Amino acid sequence: MHDAGGGRVAGRELESASGDSTSPSGPAEERPGHLPQLVGKGREVKYADSVPSAFASMLGGLIDANIEKSAAKHRDFDELGARVGIWVTDIDEGVTLDFQRGSLVVHNGLTPERDITIRAEADTVMSLSNLKIGLFGMPIYYDEVGRGVALKLLRGKLRIEGMLGNIATVNTVTRIFSVK
Amino acid sequence: MAVKAFSDEWAKQFKDEVNASSVYKSAAKGWKWTVGLVVEAEPDKKFPESKGVVMDLFDGAARDITVGTAADAQRCDFVITAPYTRWKQVATKELDATKGMLQGKLKLKGDLPTIVRYTKASQEMTECTTRVAVEWPDEN
Repeated sequence: MHDAGGGRVAGRELESASGDSTSPSGPAEERPGHLPQLVGKGREVKYADSVPSAFASMLGGLIDANIEKSAAKHRDFDELGARVGIWVTDIDEGVTLDFQRGSLVVHNGLTPERDITIRAEADTVMSLSNLKIGLFGMPIYYDEVGRGVALKLLRGKLRIEGMLGNIATVNTVTRIFSVK
Repeated sequence: MAVKAFSDEWAKQFKDEVNASSVYKSAAKGWKWTVGLVVEAEPDKKFPESKGVVMDLFDGAARDITVGTAADAQRCDFVITAPYTRWKQVATKELDATKGMLQGKLKLKGDLPTIVRYTKASQEMTECTTRVAVEWPDEN
């Protein structure tokens, strides 16, 4: 497992280091599972691949910054145990976020045994991070951003596989993801 | 009339486009950080030296946009770095800036939640660059 320190991804600052779209693991949608080395340096967000893809660095950095800034998001992070895949359909890149109740391992690409998988275009993925969180920690779908996300869900441009059995997980991930 | 890419004239027209955009004005409300664009040299594309675009953006307006050295741009709160060709692709709508960042084609340095919060503003800023008619050095 790789600590992304050294300036590539820190809690608040990100410097995506990948110079090109091709990550060492390749953009293959499904990759065989691989076991990250169990090495920890106390950081809560770690990377399974020696060179995280730019997308993996961005998502890992975003979550790291969010949980550092918000106690509520940190509580969600500490309680969440789930494997969440995110596939960006218009760039053919994805990540798997392996939330392990208080730590997160970010994998390049999609790895097996995911609880939920979100498939959407890049813009929609960014919109998910801009969803406001309302009462009882529920994402707000009635403002401009929320309506846009809901519409994409209805039109099939945002697909969340495994959502039916994991509504609470989807909401928790959305809260951790949200920069609002 | 077309202006030379990443020249002072280009910076002025870019600033005018940003300040003329009601979309940007609304989407960037509350923004108070400087943004630097590092345009890396590509001598084989007749772009021999790296340049830096320094954007002083505040609350939905561009207070100043200047072209200087790469080091000038690197001192900004947010820095986006890419080779000349990539920036040309962005300015000619061949490459979407958001996708470019997710793919690592444009390298971003800065506080991520802040820039994600202002995704719409940054998209509109990219739109503004596409509205400036540019003379590209590798096309002459």
